[in-house]
Amino acid sequence: MTGREYPWKRRPGWWLRNRRYLGFQLREAGGVVCALYGLVLLNMLIQLREGESAYTAFLDLLRTPPVLYLNLVLFALVVWHALTWFMLIGKAQPIQFTRQPLPWKVVFGVNVLLWLGVSGAVVYLIFGGI
Amino acid sequence: MVESEVVFRVKRYRPESGGRPTFQEYTIPYRSDMVVLDGLNYIKDHVDPTLTFRWSCRMGICGSCGADVNGQPRLTCGTYIRDVHKGAVTVEPLSNFPILKDLVVDFDDFLNKLASVTPYIVRKDWGDLTKEYVQYPEDVEAYRQQSLCINCMLCYAACPVFGSSPEFVGPAASALALRYNRDTRDQGADARLARLNTKTGIWECTFVGECSVVCPKDVDPAAAIQTLKFLATMRHMRRLLMPGASSR
Repeated sequence: MTGREYPWKRRPGWWLRNRRYLGFQLREAGGVVCALYGLVLLNMLIQLREGESAYTAFLDLLRTPPVLYLNLVLFALVVWHALTWFMLIGKAQPIQFTRQPLPWKVVFGVNVLLWLGVSGAVVYLIFGGI
Repeated sequence: MVESEVVFRVKRYRPESGGRPTFQEYTIPYRSDMVVLDGLNYIKDHVDPTLTFRWSCRMGICGSCGADVNGQPRLTCGTYIRDVHKGAVTVEPLSNFPILKDLVVDFDDFLNKLASVTPYIVRKDWGDLTKEYVQYPEDVEAYRQQSLCINCMLCYAACPVFGSSPEFVGPAASALALRYNRDTRDQGADARLARLNTKTGIWECTFVGECSVVCPKDVDPAAAIQTLKFLATMRHMRRLLMPGASSR
């Protein structure tokens, strides 16, 4: 690089330049949210060990409107994270049964169906039916 | 026949002045069959001969006329004004590169990265050079997509990872590495994977995917990098379990 060159500097807010960058940033944020929500569940276990009153107080906190709204936002981010990764799986590791790899939409659809199936099974196991 | 006029907002950088880049507006005649490069050439020929930009083939082969057009990296020779004309056509030098003058960027760094992946057939022993190295259609098909890369650097301009970590080897160099690793005549796969299996190599990629969106040749560098991650992992495991094994 010569002294006369004008150096490149990434602009703040670059991820608002187009909707794909925004989608990527939300996908990454969804990953962070997944990790943070793991800490919430860990804390739930700690409260459970502390005794019934501590656990009940924690559950009451989770049922308050602000936490419920926050959960909705976090859930949306996690769903976005999962769906966008399902879209990329076909590219990340092309699945090839024939001469040509399967189209990404097929891989995406199969993953979503599997995801819904596993989620349904988990809900059924926890609540004993939907 | 001239239909109307179009406004070009072109980013100018005059290294001799030492100032910051600024926009300059030009109003030029417009026809619906004009591409952005036609507009730039009109400005250069009829309005302002000091405007500086690269171009050569005018048919999307040489890869030299890339610029950010209305915020997206594009080949100016392959972009119709009618497709991007919303008020004004804004033309800027490719993002993520230092500017030399106006729309001309310094791509020495890209060339060094390209050289680091040995983008040519490497053989340990060329043997009898009069002999034919036979390839079947399916052998060619294995690397055909990556071989379409024209080194236009639009993928680098679109890559926010390269924008924040300039040491990242980047999309085109990775795609070309895969192109030669998939070539049955090549024997340099191990060295290429060793270069790419580093922090500044393929693992820097967070799979934004914009490189594949802007690629004018559908090379799909994002997919190439993910494939290389898989191959590099397999190489690593093979070296752990079977020292001295081939990388292909």
